[in-house]
Amino acid sequence: MKFGKWLKQQIEETLPAWRDKFLSYKELKKLVRLISSAESPEYGKVDAEAEFVYLLNNEIDKFNAFFMEQEEDFIIRHRELQQGIERVIDTWGPNGTKPSQAEYNDEMAKVRKDIVDFHGEMVLLVNYSNVNYTGLGKILKKYDKWTGRLLRLPFIQKVLEQPFFVTDLVSKLVKECENTIDEVFPVEVEEEIVKVQREAIKVAGKGVFRNTVTALLSMQEIRRGSSTYGHFSLPPLDLPDSDLIHSFQLNSPIPTV
Amino acid sequence: MKARPALSIQISGASNMGVSEGLSSSLPAISTPLEDTYRKLPGTQQISAKRELMGRPLVRATYSSSNSGVVGHIFSSSSGFSSDLHYSSSSPHEKHSRNAPFISQAPTNGAASPLLQSSNRMMPQSMMSSQYYKENSGSWCTDPGFPDFPISTPVQSCQVESTNCSGIMTSEDLCKSNEWQEWAEQLITDDDALASDWNELLVVDNVMDMEPKVAKPCTSTTLSEQKPQVHQRPPSLSVASRSVVNSSSSANNAPAKPRMRWTPELHEAFVEAVNQLGGSERATPKGVLKIMKVEGLTIYHVKSHLQKYRTARYRPESSEGSLERKSTSTEDLSSLDLKAGMGITEALRLQMEVQKRLHEQLEIQRNLQLRIEEQGRYLQMMFEKQKSGLDKLKASPSSSENPQELPAKGEPEASQTNHVNSGTDTANVKSTLERSSEEMGGEQEAPKTTETGVSKSSSPPSKRPRIE
Repeated sequence: MKFGKWLKQQIEETLPAWRDKFLSYKELKKLVRLISSAESPEYGKVDAEAEFVYLLNNEIDKFNAFFMEQEEDFIIRHRELQQGIERVIDTWGPNGTKPSQAEYNDEMAKVRKDIVDFHGEMVLLVNYSNVNYTGLGKILKKYDKWTGRLLRLPFIQKVLEQPFFVTDLVSKLVKECENTIDEVFPVEVEEEIVKVQREAIKVAGKGVFRNTVTALLSMQEIRRGSSTYGHFSLPPLDLPDSDLIHSFQLNSPIPTV
Repeated sequence: MKARPALSIQISGASNMGVSEGLSSSLPAISTPLEDTYRKLPGTQQISAKRELMGRPLVRATYSSSNSGVVGHIFSSSSGFSSDLHYSSSSPHEKHSRNAPFISQAPTNGAASPLLQSSNRMMPQSMMSSQYYKENSGSWCTDPGFPDFPISTPVQSCQVESTNCSGIMTSEDLCKSNEWQEWAEQLITDDDALASDWNELLVVDNVMDMEPKVAKPCTSTTLSEQKPQVHQRPPSLSVASRSVVNSSSSANNAPAKPRMRWTPELHEAFVEAVNQLGGSERATPKGVLKIMKVEGLTIYHVKSHLQKYRTARYRPESSEGSLERKSTSTEDLSSLDLKAGMGITEALRLQMEVQKRLHEQLEIQRNLQLRIEEQGRYLQMMFEKQKSGLDKLKASPSSSENPQELPAKGEPEASQTNHVNSGTDTANVKSTLERSSEEMGGEQEAPKTTETGVSKSSSPPSKRPRIE
């Protein structure tokens, strides 16, 4: 699948709210075509490249700003969530001030949901970072191909150091979330898990879950072999539960509640 | 051509006195370095730039507007600047040639920096800004690695050495006057505490290296958007502050809202400070800033962070009765309910699994990407070494070890082989990429020599060992 199309699909299906924050791949591609076809002496290669670089940098600034803002939000929410859990345990838990199994379960359920969604959002941010990075790489590759210049390699080196690409902190928060989940969820029995999975979740619906499913599948798609495979390309995605995940994509029947 | 210190002097002058006299007294002092620095620029730019510098602050009547004028000045230049930095990467030669004058002028600018430092001391604000400045000007003058700047530094010039190009300001100023107004208004409406922090901000943004503009079209394009400078504290400061200050903003925000990268530790300190002040509602940005005592943290950062914090707290607190949560996640809940036969917990678990999987894959992908680029860089380096070696050997046939085995479907960084025999360049570097290429499963193709304008000869990895 063409990257431009794939990118659009990714955005629309996973994070339409973030549409503006993604790479303007189409526009950049047009520019590249323009540059390569209209190599007039007045506009010169250097100027065109400078303009291209300028636009790319604007994109990068955009990514950085958005990413760091989200990251900041996540940091805050993460802490609040942790505190929330403690509060629930301390208030309605067995050793708490107002121990109440029912309340505890209720509140815990909410907390769990929050955590899982939070986890998903963070993962989607990492996905955002990745998608944009990939897009940048591709547009640079196109640029080099069409203009015969050597912009990609040095430029991408700089991109690697950009805040939006350095997703370590978010990843760390994600892992912490996963640990918290393990503590907060009741212990599951093996067979139940299998049964549950077999029951084919027909629902993706809206929400974080659906988004992550789509993101995952899209990633698999984009990494399928391509015609322009080179040594700078990523290998195909090895996704063990691919079938199961595919099944998540089925849309939910209209709720009759 | 680096009027950076000059600019700062002017700014601090403006903000200190708040009156034109301060400006006029400082201006003559800087006119000489300005002259020097502007010498290199095209004549008209030069003159108009100077006029801009001198003319604007004097025109402003009020304290705030003069500040904002100057600030806007700086910010516009800084926005132009960030693009310069970027340009620099594409035209290393130009850069290098201009770097030399810059460095040679460093001593003269170094002379200017005491001026700065003294004016910094006069500033109402804290050590923070002057310290910034001193550190920065110090390292700025003495940075040995400067010539390497275009290649090695990150786009966002997260280093002290980032500078601003004075030349850009001229044309940008004209267009920025509207934004100055907005900025002025915004600044005026903020609490007084902010006023004193302007200096900080200014200094923060001023601490940048000066990059010469590369091409004219750039000027016109930089006018369309303002991208404040990105900068990072010098190593000593950043260690102390535990945070990296990056500045970037969308075109909508006020110019140069420096963006801070928060960390959990920093946030923890923030929360403590807030609690000390009696909670998120009662705490003020200034108070928090004071308590936190973090270098590089400006009141802007604290303000926006506090806002976010309040929002985050308000929602959960108001929804103790689970109102909020229900309303915001009805869709999710209903979708969960439909997971027939499955308790919510199981559904969540499943969701978690998928998310985990996605995250895993993303991490793997990212690591791969890093490694690919690393290899590419290494390859490039080897290639250049080889090339220089070959140039010396000239007509030596020995270097064409494996002319047939060069998979040529590679990155055009190899197009430097224009000068070199296509079959020879990557012979030495194939082994380095052997491992990664095996993992990549890259295709192998016959070496292509020159294509239209592009020489794609062979730097990509080969699966075969170099020495068979």
